[in-house]
Amino acid sequence: MKRLAKGAIALMTAGSLILTSACGANSESSNTSGNANASAKASQVELGTLDPANPTKVTFYSYSLAYPTMKAGMEQLIQEFNDTVGKEKGVIVEGVPDATFQQYKADISAGKEVDVVQHTFNLLDSSRLGLGFKAYEDVFPQAELDEHLKGISPNALELGKIDGKMYGLAFTFSTPIVFINGKLFEEAGLDPANPPKTWDDIKKASLQIKEKTGKDGFGLSPQNGWVTEGLILSNGGRVLSEDHKQAEFANKESVDAISMWKDLYMNGASAKGTDAEVSEQFMAGNLGMYVSSTSLYSGIKKASEAGGWKVYGGALPQFGEKESIPVNSGSVLAVRPDSPEKNAAVWEFIKFVTGDRGYTIITSQIGYLPLRTGLADDPNGLKEFVEQNPLYRINLEQLSRIQPVAIWPGESATEMVTAFTDAIVKSVSTDADVEQTLKQAQDQINGMMP
Amino acid sequence: MARRSLNKTKLWRRIKPFLYLAPALILLSVWMYKPLITTFYLAFHKWNMVPGTDKKFVGLDNFDRLFHNPAFIDSIGNTVFYTAGLLPFSILIPLVLAVVTNNMNGKMKNFYRGIFFIPMILAPVSVSAIWRWLFHPSNGVVNHILLKLDLIQQPVAFFSDANFAKWIILLITGWKMIGFSVIMFSAALTGINREYYEAAAIDGATSLRQFINVTVPLMSPMIMFMLMMSILFSSQWTFAYIDILTTGGPYGTSTNIYYEMFRYAFSNLNVGFSSAAALVFFFIFGAIALLLNAVSRKLSFYDN
Repeated sequence: MKRLAKGAIALMTAGSLILTSACGANSESSNTSGNANASAKASQVELGTLDPANPTKVTFYSYSLAYPTMKAGMEQLIQEFNDTVGKEKGVIVEGVPDATFQQYKADISAGKEVDVVQHTFNLLDSSRLGLGFKAYEDVFPQAELDEHLKGISPNALELGKIDGKMYGLAFTFSTPIVFINGKLFEEAGLDPANPPKTWDDIKKASLQIKEKTGKDGFGLSPQNGWVTEGLILSNGGRVLSEDHKQAEFANKESVDAISMWKDLYMNGASAKGTDAEVSEQFMAGNLGMYVSSTSLYSGIKKASEAGGWKVYGGALPQFGEKESIPVNSGSVLAVRPDSPEKNAAVWEFIKFVTGDRGYTIITSQIGYLPLRTGLADDPNGLKEFVEQNPLYRINLEQLSRIQPVAIWPGESATEMVTAFTDAIVKSVSTDADVEQTLKQAQDQINGMMP
Repeated sequence: MARRSLNKTKLWRRIKPFLYLAPALILLSVWMYKPLITTFYLAFHKWNMVPGTDKKFVGLDNFDRLFHNPAFIDSIGNTVFYTAGLLPFSILIPLVLAVVTNNMNGKMKNFYRGIFFIPMILAPVSVSAIWRWLFHPSNGVVNHILLKLDLIQQPVAFFSDANFAKWIILLITGWKMIGFSVIMFSAALTGINREYYEAAAIDGATSLRQFINVTVPLMSPMIMFMLMMSILFSSQWTFAYIDILTTGGPYGTSTNIYYEMFRYAFSNLNVGFSSAAALVFFFIFGAIALLLNAVSRKLSFYDN
């Protein structure tokens, strides 16, 4: 018996030794591949040759593919690329739905090829540092870049830059607007063509809708994630300091903005629930006003036609006389090609989806803004569409006042976003003291700064 | 020559038991011991799991940050809440249901047990979708009924309200748990010798007395087993509903430690931090399991 036990222990020790040495082998081989990457980077800013007979596969991780209101448009975009440019040049793009931004992270850590990601702005720095995303200047030739980026709003190009290099090209893009249910507005004796301008007007209108129709007047979910920043900026507050090294959202202006929102949320005429629940409520025709991105427009329009009401829109409301400052929602295209052929294939895809045809599909089929703003006046582009859907004019006008959504610095960005959102939810939807809650979160986040 | 073959047989005799053990040992080391050792190793490193990147040794830093992380401390409280809250659903209610249905005739017995068991085999994702509809703030049936009965003035956003979110997660998990426990208890009930009940009835024991003095003691091994299962696995069973219905919110009030570990590793890509949390709970749950084992040996009564 004793001998058996000894044997078993010996066997297990041997087993664990083999396993540990296997781990060691792993890390060694990964080091060498890291070096290979580094040396490759220096020499290659040219594109490889593509072969139509032997097409290069590119994976594209997209959250739009996972949302019912955006899926069809995004699929059309990919399909049209594969059928035209892709077929001609030799590129096949495979779309991967990624609703929660987890799939691309999981697949990168599993060693799969993740080439193009429809990436949110706020986590871009963390991905750049940790997940091997590359600067456009490092993988695509400068001359090609300069040529292609002509005609894209310069404000928009700035949004994906970190330390002067472009880690993301603005892709699907929008500003927050107030969607209005025309029918409920009229029933409450309000004019939907003349939407509320200030937050005071919003409050008045929401109470009036509740009183006259019994339905909730206003909806903005505390978990919305990005409109919050527009609110803070509009009141003269900040989310991050100028140099992006400190969180600053507990200053007086921010606290005042959030307190205003809390008052609105608690007034008995506001919709409660998560962002998905509030948008469902609006689409069901049970909510007067709803602040969100125009990317929901195609879905909302269909719902309103089915429900027999008309959808109107207004700009992001302002505090008193101060002009409102919207932040952008949406995404950049972040890339991590690993060979000259991949560079070329990825570049073809990016040129198509951020080109004239690409933005025409994105705007008319999904609802995001055309970043090539000229398209809105181009009879071959979106002129007719914008005339039929005047909501987009509001959105295009807001572009001139837009400020970038905060890119949280360093590798702990996800934790920072969670801490910030949790603090906002707690401040707005509970009795918690706004200033104290925001201050606490700010200190916690500053403790995580790189 | 003879000596050599003797040696060979001797060697063969020594190797033989390990050959029999090999399949189990290999499986255990690949699926249990290797991850365990890796977790232990990673708990002292900082790494984002991306192939080609280095693991940085950080000593006890992960543990230090862990115990200063308010979300982690909150999640421990919630874990205790879910563990304790699940006990009625895994022990009390199923025990009663099993005993009650046991006295029914064949067809009815199977019908009722079928009903109890169905929630268990439904996929968590579809179950969550149904509960989400029921509790929807503006279109949900629950709010509709409560408003009609004048119990509330405003619809309640159950999954965004810290007072309700974790209770609903508990309710859904419990509802699914009941079916499994009923089946386990029913199986144990069929093993009880009917003569005990006849003897008790002749002595004039009421059915409640019979339940307390005959059924419960004879079921004690199964009750202890379900108690252990419930305590050790409650965190895993709540995981899917937390992920789908609340993602731990509002502001972290419905999360538990398993969900936090998942987030540290796969959302924040900080596998060292996650491993540190896993290691802490490996020891806590290990201690609970040993304790329950000891208690079970003392309290269980076997009808040999």
